[in-house]
Amino acid sequence: MSLGTLFSGPDMAAALMPEWILLFGIVAMAIVPNLGDGTFRLPIPGTSIRLPILFGGKRLAFTADPRLPAGIAAVTLIASFVTAFMSQMIDPSVGTNMACIDGNGAVFAACDVDHQHLLRVDSFSRLFEMIFYAALLLAVAAGFNRLPATPASRLPTRVQQDDIVEQRRMQKLLDNRRQVDFYLLVLMAAFGMSVVALSVNLFVMFIGLELAGLASYVLVAFLKETKEGSEAGVKYFIVGSVTSAIGLYGLSLLYIWNGDLSITGQVGLAAAWAEMDSPEALPIIGLGLLLVAFAFKVSAVPFHFAAPDAYSGSPGPVAGVLATASKAMGFLAMMRVLIGVTLGEGESEWLILLGIIAAITMTWGNVAALGSKNPKRMLAYSSVAHAGYVLAGIAAVGAIGAGDGATLLTTAIIFHLAVLVTFKLGAFLVISLLEIEGRGHDLSHFKGLARRDPIIALSMLIFMLALAGVPPLSGFLSKLLMVNGIISSTLGDISSASLADLTGSLSWVFWLAILIFINSAFSLFYYLRIVVVMFFDDTDRPVRLSRAPVLRMAIMLCTIGAVVFGFGDFADGLLTLAGNAASSLMP
Amino acid sequence: MIGNPLTILTLFPLCASLLLMLVHWAAAEDRQADLSKWIRYINLGVALFMLALATLIGLESFSADLTGIGGWVGLGWHNYLYDNCDQGILRAGGCAVISSIGVSWHVGIDALSYPMVWLTTLLIPISMLVDWDQKRGAYFHSLILMMEGALIGVFVSLDLFMFYVFWELTLIPMFFLILLWGGEDRRYAAQKFFIYTFAASVFMLAGILMMYFHNPVPDWGVGNLTGNSFDLVLMNEQVADSSFISGGMQSLVFLLLLIGFATKMPSVPVHTWLPDAHVEAPTAGSMLLAGVMLKMGAYGFIRLSVTLFPESIIKYQWLLVLLGMVSLVYASWVCLGQTNLKRLVAYSSVSHMGVIFLGVATLQPLGIAGAIFMMFAHGIISPLLFAVAGAFKKHYHTLEIGSMRGLAHHSPWMSAHMMVGWMASLGLPLMAGFVAEVAILIAFWMTFGWLVLLPALTLIITAAYYLWSMQRTIFEGSGEVELPPTMGDDEPRDITWHENVGMMTLGIMAVIFGILPGIFFVMMSGWSSDLISTTFVDLMNSLGVEP
Repeated sequence: MSLGTLFSGPDMAAALMPEWILLFGIVAMAIVPNLGDGTFRLPIPGTSIRLPILFGGKRLAFTADPRLPAGIAAVTLIASFVTAFMSQMIDPSVGTNMACIDGNGAVFAACDVDHQHLLRVDSFSRLFEMIFYAALLLAVAAGFNRLPATPASRLPTRVQQDDIVEQRRMQKLLDNRRQVDFYLLVLMAAFGMSVVALSVNLFVMFIGLELAGLASYVLVAFLKETKEGSEAGVKYFIVGSVTSAIGLYGLSLLYIWNGDLSITGQVGLAAAWAEMDSPEALPIIGLGLLLVAFAFKVSAVPFHFAAPDAYSGSPGPVAGVLATASKAMGFLAMMRVLIGVTLGEGESEWLILLGIIAAITMTWGNVAALGSKNPKRMLAYSSVAHAGYVLAGIAAVGAIGAGDGATLLTTAIIFHLAVLVTFKLGAFLVISLLEIEGRGHDLSHFKGLARRDPIIALSMLIFMLALAGVPPLSGFLSKLLMVNGIISSTLGDISSASLADLTGSLSWVFWLAILIFINSAFSLFYYLRIVVVMFFDDTDRPVRLSRAPVLRMAIMLCTIGAVVFGFGDFADGLLTLAGNAASSLMP
Repeated sequence: MIGNPLTILTLFPLCASLLLMLVHWAAAEDRQADLSKWIRYINLGVALFMLALATLIGLESFSADLTGIGGWVGLGWHNYLYDNCDQGILRAGGCAVISSIGVSWHVGIDALSYPMVWLTTLLIPISMLVDWDQKRGAYFHSLILMMEGALIGVFVSLDLFMFYVFWELTLIPMFFLILLWGGEDRRYAAQKFFIYTFAASVFMLAGILMMYFHNPVPDWGVGNLTGNSFDLVLMNEQVADSSFISGGMQSLVFLLLLIGFATKMPSVPVHTWLPDAHVEAPTAGSMLLAGVMLKMGAYGFIRLSVTLFPESIIKYQWLLVLLGMVSLVYASWVCLGQTNLKRLVAYSSVSHMGVIFLGVATLQPLGIAGAIFMMFAHGIISPLLFAVAGAFKKHYHTLEIGSMRGLAHHSPWMSAHMMVGWMASLGLPLMAGFVAEVAILIAFWMTFGWLVLLPALTLIITAAYYLWSMQRTIFEGSGEVELPPTMGDDEPRDITWHENVGMMTLGIMAVIFGILPGIFFVMMSGWSSDLISTTFVDLMNSLGVEP
């Protein structure tokens, strides 16, 4: 029995190993930091035996350590990442390793048409889970050295000579309730995202979306003492709830139409959609409303208005998670519905709408980023632009229908979402490093970073160039693949005599690819602005940035990832994984 | 693959420069000043080693008994030297770098690229030498070395993905060179340079992608997701079979590529990044920018557009003539009105590169060979011009022509080099520029008849502005010297021995290649004759155009 079957054999625990580990982590997070030296006095008269139950009383030094919750979260996420990786690692060239779970908890080796399946473990879901866990792990690493117990307390520095003052400072820190809140929410979000990744039933997917969403609402509002933090949280929460409600309404319309919300299966949505001769009103309206909820998660225009405020008001790592994992979750749901359910042989019904949204989103994001002075806000708008690029890819899939070209495009989209974690989250991590000293919300705080801390400035340079799509970084490869997918699928077998004929006969989706190019060049203006400010201007605070060793290690990891996934074996490996994922998504 | 000398020429400077920068960063504060001196020497040593390697590669291919084309063996049309990947292996994915999309590490040189490679390895140590000033800081020379690796990568790559990667990679060190060590307006100029050329290259990328889509490799195997390859040699094979892109699609791809190449060359109307970038760049940066980076555009144009899309060249011959003529004439007129020495030289670069379009548009072997030789000749002469301008800036603290007179009295060596350079650039016989210009003009007459008068008369304007600026700054004054006010109380000095050696080398090269152009010209004309006779003649006959 090989290692892979240990993790995806027909046994519930084995099939869902990463999710069980997450659950275990959540329980551990709730219990372990509360362990203390409480005792229970046996109610035997005459004796005063006290049994040590580990709950209550004064907490032990170990469990009151502010770094403990981060450690628990990190260990949990690493274990989940490793098990998710291994379950697909057996032989990437063979294809996917599947397990399907139905409503009764029975596990099947393949998703057959007879049963109603709720969850499906295949390379698509596992790869996305890996993306989520990686992003959240990097956010955990960012929070390791920086979350104080209360906003008023500061981390003790080594220059403290007075022991008593240091003791008092440590006392303030030895109250890690705030940390527990943060990391518990992170693990909840991870769990919700896993459910979304695994689900092949739209209702289960919605549950997962809500779980992850609610956790992220609270995470965005985490800096509740500041005005910007509360404002960000409330805005994000209200807009998110409204769009979720609209999505739920769409879901209910689909339920009315079909009677069953599963994607695969004989009575599933995919089958019902394929049987539809002419477009019926009910499912199309339902689909449209459902897409509203996904579009919010993905921050597509015109549902993106909460995003810039949410990103700038939330802590740096949380904004990074929103930009990478949350977005990947939204695209996952969108792909499951648009590609898994509605993709037919020819053009899809949602093509034009999605194409228009993609074009507007790209342009709006880039133009708005130009005017932003706050780096987090600028990165928020740049995520909007990147979402536009991916939407253009999905629109191209809709233009060509099912086939090899669609698989290629989907591979490119998944690859792009995966490498986005390295450089987008990395950029937010650099901002987190600046936030430790209380700065990072204005462009002028980046001045002279190259002199203060050359390695961090170099990392930021690599992230900015990767975001713009400059070779030889991974950002270039992912954009190239997407554009290549669009071009190759729309060119087809066109051969015409003259230029005028050709431009007339090209599908309009081709021009989306040209728009992606133009927007990439355009985006260079604001990405380069940060680089110039870092290397050119002089700083007003010529001290080194905070030590924060774990955060620096995370930034280094992201830098290496941004470079190494651009060519060679690593890029090949990730592309193979993405290719497997794409083929298991296709109906 | 590692043993291939071209791979060494590309990757060794890149890795060495990164290593040297890392060493300097990691060193202790007090050791750093000492270390930067050693790092400069090591940089220069690596650059000289690359020059030796490139020369040896050339000598190995030059056989004394004059077989091949005029002595050069194996550099003819479609014949690549040091090809690291045999076609059979290539098609099966043996040399892959990113197997999933069909990218391979395929290098090779031929008559078009070898002179460029040799030119690059020559210019890098010379530009390092000319800017030997220690005040440049520790990373300056390492960045120049990094540029060398990227530039050579552009010229030797036979895979279009790697070609594009190296093309964009050259932008990054040059951006930092301008930003950190440039003139007063360097911040604006660096950003304009990067964004302008990047945006244009992105159109080139769109064209490359369309070409990629038409380049199938069915033998590659399961690893390749798209079934296509980026390789140039395979595309050439398709052109030979007439199975490559044609018709309206070819026109679209040609125009997309043209946008990218025309911006790099540069050609009016997309030349406006050049004056700012050149004027604000440090001396070594300007030398490399004018000497090699502009040639990337011309090289790419000939390598991709001319060899792969002969129909489009014939169809758009008028466009090439228009662009070339406008660049030549407009830039020359603009030069007449310049008062800044470096800006004058920058615009003269634009006009000389316009001549290259004219050479290609003639569709004659002589014209195309003249265009390639112009790339090489201009690559020797314009760094000399910029070195002289840099010397003016460094020793007299100004570039305003109007503020200086009679400086030959104080700086005889600088004036001598200025004379040599200025004369070479305006096309004095016995210098390299003359050979190129005369070849192109003769070919132009052969194709277009009396239209040749226009570029020929523009030569008069070229002579006018060069002679005026030269006479004004170093000769005039009837014995009295007028020092510019920026000198203040400084004593006027002549150039240092570093600059002297650098400029003298370039001057000697210009003369050698003026007297013995055959060293490179014979292989270039052999290459172009083969190109015309295999690719163009049949086409032109079928289209009714006179060959």
